[in-house]
Amino acid sequence: MGSGRWSTNVYDEHNHVKAAAGKSVFDYSDVMHKSGRSTWRVHKSLDPSRGKVRESRDSDEHPESTAIAVMFDVTGSMGGIPVTLQRKLPELLGLLLRKGYVPDPQILFGAIGDATCDRVPLQVGEFESDNRMDENLENIFLEGGGGGQQTESYELAMYYIARHTDIDCWNKRGHKGYLFIIGDEMAYPAVKRHEVRNVIGDGAERDILTPEILRELQQRYHVFYILPQGASNGRDPKILGFWRKLLGQNVLELEDPEAVCETIALTIGMMEGTIDLYAGADDLREIGTTDSTLKVVTMALANIPVSMTKAKTISGVLPGLD
Amino acid sequence: MNATKNNAILVADLGYGDAGKGSIVDYLTRTMEAHTVVRYNGGAQAAHNVITPDGRHHTFAQFGSGTFIPGTRTHLSRFMMVHPLAMLAEERHLRSLGISDAFNRVSMDRAALVTTPFQQSANRLREMARGDGRHGSCGMGVGETMSDWLSYGSQVPFVGDLRDRATLLKKLTFLRDAKIAQLEDQLKNLSNNEFAREDLNVLYDPRILETTADIYKYFSELVSVVEPDYLGELLKRPGTTIFEGAQGALLDEWYGFYPYNTWSTLTFRNAETLLLENDFAGELFKLGLVRAYATRHGAGPFVTEDQDLTAQVPDYHNQNNDWQREFRVGYLDFVALRYALAVTGKIDGLAITNLDRLDAISEWRTCDLYEYIGQAVNVAEYFDLLGSSIRKIKVPADPTNLTRQEELTKALFDMQPIYANCKKDKRAYIELISQTLNVPVAITSAGPKALEKESHVSLRAQNPVLSIPAI
Repeated sequence: MGSGRWSTNVYDEHNHVKAAAGKSVFDYSDVMHKSGRSTWRVHKSLDPSRGKVRESRDSDEHPESTAIAVMFDVTGSMGGIPVTLQRKLPELLGLLLRKGYVPDPQILFGAIGDATCDRVPLQVGEFESDNRMDENLENIFLEGGGGGQQTESYELAMYYIARHTDIDCWNKRGHKGYLFIIGDEMAYPAVKRHEVRNVIGDGAERDILTPEILRELQQRYHVFYILPQGASNGRDPKILGFWRKLLGQNVLELEDPEAVCETIALTIGMMEGTIDLYAGADDLREIGTTDSTLKVVTMALANIPVSMTKAKTISGVLPGLD
Repeated sequence: MNATKNNAILVADLGYGDAGKGSIVDYLTRTMEAHTVVRYNGGAQAAHNVITPDGRHHTFAQFGSGTFIPGTRTHLSRFMMVHPLAMLAEERHLRSLGISDAFNRVSMDRAALVTTPFQQSANRLREMARGDGRHGSCGMGVGETMSDWLSYGSQVPFVGDLRDRATLLKKLTFLRDAKIAQLEDQLKNLSNNEFAREDLNVLYDPRILETTADIYKYFSELVSVVEPDYLGELLKRPGTTIFEGAQGALLDEWYGFYPYNTWSTLTFRNAETLLLENDFAGELFKLGLVRAYATRHGAGPFVTEDQDLTAQVPDYHNQNNDWQREFRVGYLDFVALRYALAVTGKIDGLAITNLDRLDAISEWRTCDLYEYIGQAVNVAEYFDLLGSSIRKIKVPADPTNLTRQEELTKALFDMQPIYANCKKDKRAYIELISQTLNVPVAITSAGPKALEKESHVSLRAQNPVLSIPAI
């Protein structure tokens, strides 16, 4: 006897699964926010003082690993954007794998606050190639802190990635990893010795100027700054100027944070030379990306010069720019 | 019949399905106190109905039909195609019937294939594009799963992949893209079809990939995913293991009447392979299931189909499947049954089911011969003749020759049944079946519940002795 009696669909089943699991994506944050500020602390899986380095390793299953770190600002000026990022970023791995933009992506998620005043100024997960990265993401505490001075501790995150990651793509193949920082304020001028000690646990001899740590970081990583336009300082020319001076063309202005995964995936695809912007846009259209998202992505990436990427040419008329 | 040594009962349907595997497996599980029911073919399209003594009804698709009996386990062998989404839905229904530990009692071989939403939707889109020439498919993607495995090998997802998100996403993406490519022509014609919208969405909504991976991960944590040698351990346990077959021998992937057949081996072969691999040394009983009359749902040859019977004996369970269309009824067909027995090999006993339904039939008859009324086919090549009549369908020497099977199918569409009337006496009717097919009757069933069944032989003996009680 045959039938389709128990036929169901993905959407319904997903709702059942979520209901059965009985939790929202923002679990750790919810729990933390319900308790007093004095008890706020980084989830142990994201504690930068835990362990010496975060490793991105080749394995039989993932022979050509590529390290990709995505760290986002969780301070108050970002508004609801961190919530959106926490919800959207789990799609990044799928997007990269689906089109084969990069062979074996290993993704680390982290969050950035303000070390001068926050309880949890730095959170760093591990490089993961499966759904454990989602757990890291879920455990990120959206503190919503920061001060009103238009600076957050991005330089501390850069220091951590520069000094506390060990990546096989660079070690074995001389192939740089990626760091994407998503935020809307400036970095402090220098990595401060006492913050490094308090937050990370390193005994540093001196403060390190932010451009200096960035240079060190860029030896092993392509570094990008994504500035979401909807954030408090999203359209502040001072902020944009600050990052342009540090990173040149590697500053992406993002109209809509919903398009963050597509933007990162296409950036990587272009840097790896697997696509040009035109082909990437085609890919996105093919997987059902809406025209408005497509426009956001292509506008964000239109400034990346061809010469910088391995892509041969950018051909045709880009959506949103014609 | 409490067993102390280990023994196995293999259950297969000798027709086109619908012979009552669910209720027979439930009955056997109760009477033999079976510890495990093993699925050895098919997938989520199975629909094995069981009604408990207290009136609870469940259509078993991926859980073994012994699940109503507390503690009885289900093992999905590597020959089963696992459809996690449908299994989650099925489990919810079991839960609503008061069975809260169904998933705890399931093990599945990591080498079993996984049926994805993409294959299910591709199955349905193909059927929609095909319009009237439908193949009687259930719309669950079972055939697609098998054909994808044959085409793409290790690139398709297996149960062992369910927990590995990266591999799973890679495979799901590959499959989704493969489906879109395969269906290129059909998709063009279906884009404006209202009924196709949901299935088109599955292929084109980018969120489906991650969402499916999430669901699969959750699913994989509910069940035991086991290594292939697990079954060997299971079979060594004292007591009874039941091998529950799906569908029916006449729908077999090779011996069935192409193209109105399935993609699954529906004889005992897979079950025998599993027993051999695991050096099974216990007692073995092969049980063949036959309805007291013939049925078929969906398209395909059905020589003894009868419009009056279809009206007289509508099915209890089989009315509402949009994907298979009508349920067809006809007289018992010995020509087809002889073929089924020839392809399954020797069996130890018959289970004759739905005997109560005979009461609704005004005239009892059986078909022992066909008459060929067509022109195109050289019947001597495909059939054993008795004079100019057809007595038996020849078993193909090379079952993989589908062109040959298609010719056979063509011939079957032009057959006229020759009927013999029989006395409206169930005992005589049962005896007639047993004698004509030369197989002892092991179980008779006169209703869907276990209490309405009777055993006539010891199911643990290799050569059971026939004894038919009065009915």
